[in-house]
Amino acid sequence: MLTLGSAVVVLLSRNVLYSAYSLLLTFVGIAALYVLAGADFLAVTQLMVYVGGVLVLLVFGVMLTHRGDAQKSVAQRATEPNVVRTNHGRTLAGVLVAGGMFALLFTVIQKADFTRNEATFYDPITRVSTVPDVGIHLMTDYALPFEVVGVLLLAALIGAAYLSSIRN
Amino acid sequence: MLSIISLSLFGILNLFLGFLKSRRVLLPATLLFIALAFAANLLDWNHQYVYFRDMLRTNNLFINFSSIILLTTFLTVAISRSFGTDEEHTHPAEYYAIMLFSVVGALMMVGFENLIMLFIGLEILSVSLYVLTGSDKRSLRSNEAALKYFLMGSFATGIFLFGIALVYGATGSFNLSAIGSYVSGGPTTGISPLLYVGLLFILAGMLFKVSAAPFHFWTPDVYDGAPTLFTAFMSTVVKTAGFAALYRLLTVSFTGVYGLWWQVLTGVTVLTLLVGNITAVYQSSVKRMLAYSSVSHAGYLLIAVAAKTPQSPSAILFYSLAYSIATITGFAVLILVAEQKPIEGRPDERYEAFNGLAKRNPLLAFSLAVSMVSLAGIPLTAGFWGKFFVFSTAVDRGMTNMGMVLVVAVLMSVVGVYYYFRVIIASYLKTGDSEPIGIRPLYRFILVLTTALTIGLGLFPDVVRQLF
Repeated sequence: MLTLGSAVVVLLSRNVLYSAYSLLLTFVGIAALYVLAGADFLAVTQLMVYVGGVLVLLVFGVMLTHRGDAQKSVAQRATEPNVVRTNHGRTLAGVLVAGGMFALLFTVIQKADFTRNEATFYDPITRVSTVPDVGIHLMTDYALPFEVVGVLLLAALIGAAYLSSIRN
Repeated sequence: MLSIISLSLFGILNLFLGFLKSRRVLLPATLLFIALAFAANLLDWNHQYVYFRDMLRTNNLFINFSSIILLTTFLTVAISRSFGTDEEHTHPAEYYAIMLFSVVGALMMVGFENLIMLFIGLEILSVSLYVLTGSDKRSLRSNEAALKYFLMGSFATGIFLFGIALVYGATGSFNLSAIGSYVSGGPTTGISPLLYVGLLFILAGMLFKVSAAPFHFWTPDVYDGAPTLFTAFMSTVVKTAGFAALYRLLTVSFTGVYGLWWQVLTGVTVLTLLVGNITAVYQSSVKRMLAYSSVSHAGYLLIAVAAKTPQSPSAILFYSLAYSIATITGFAVLILVAEQKPIEGRPDERYEAFNGLAKRNPLLAFSLAVSMVSLAGIPLTAGFWGKFFVFSTAVDRGMTNMGMVLVVAVLMSVVGVYYYFRVIIASYLKTGDSEPIGIRPLYRFILVLTTALTIGLGLFPDVVRQLF
């Protein structure tokens, strides 16, 4: 409920900062859901990456986006509250697309009948930590993807450094 | 595999070469690197290897596709001349390194055996391309294109990843053959509906990357805004890699549900052909026309994927080769012609810029004409045989299934003739400036080479086809 309610606030709020704070609640709620589903590694990653990294970036973005009146002096502008508003256009199209997606996934999940699948494919979930397993698989079965992600990060890093350099 | 490792290392080496005072060394060094990777790639001919617990598989098909990718990269790098020694604001080392990395991603998309490798390869390719699209930092259009590409591309990647997750949920594996045996073997409880939705999402993501019709809206803006050199790179390498990946995924894993996806694919094909060709007619800029024409060529390639006959891989290979070579020639000529007379500080890419090209430089006009004729699919060029092989796969599949697609495809190739010939007519029959255009020797060599290849493949298609 908490997750859903704050997600609705994210959608409806016109002030980006309020949206960002309710997004925090949403992310924490999702992390809690992961813990309940027995995926502790995923929950910790969710906390570290989204709550710790992405949200702080978002709030910094709001802070640095100063949309003051160009006519006023810097001192005047500094005292104004910094409010970034969002636009709500094309609500109908958005509701249609999101609703269609929801209906599709909902029917599929209903049909998928997870109790039967779990009984045939997977062992019943026992409450043990998944972290050791993740580590072992990362270094054995999935060693190549793990290494190759390095190339991806390197390319992204060079690109970011290049695009943001002031020299030109 | 050796080519992937060596390209990653060469990319890093290239960055270090950027520290050197002289930038002249970069272009030959990059060309040498690509040639070495090409040679390393050929070493595995007629061998099958599977690497790292079923992560990558190299066989002759992989070598063929990756050879085409490396060849087109080589040609693109060879015509990269606008950021040479004179301009202070360019960073060729970074461009070349990112291009090499993106080729690594493309090769992984060709040889993947595990959906994780496909995803990472796709991401390496896309992230590199976002950067290359925005590499002209002073141009507003380039920035806009990069941002648009990034936002829509990440959204498509998200959907793609969701699809992979759903397929994993249904089959319990990321491995292509394991998914394949689940799908065709048929579990006792019936195929889970998660698989269908997952397949649909994966298809949406892949079709976005190759710019097929309902997902093509980014293509014209991005291709138009990006520096022309990188447009040439994008429209060839991404398409080859994307179709290799799509074909491999659909045939190895999802043969069992062919009845489901061929209908989706034929629908997309018809839409792609119609949208790409008809919109291309209305363009006033040659670069934008080439962007829409690349959408329409995605449609032709999709025919061969949807037909799924034993001849399909060789048809896709030949078509990608013919298309890549002709497209690179087209863009190479466009780069030279467009920068002759800038309008408001940016290159003139309208049809009028080509007026009287035959008098200004006969070689440019001739290679342009050959590449356009090849793209249009007129006999005696490689493009004709590409279209011929693709259509014959559809005929093999049977007229009841593919008849409608074939009719649309043939009609649309006729429409294609109209807009490709507009360029040729402008360059041969209309009069314009008489000021000659000079070309550097390497550039001239590449143009002659691609033109010769186009005509050579048109006359003797069997030379290459035996290898496929």
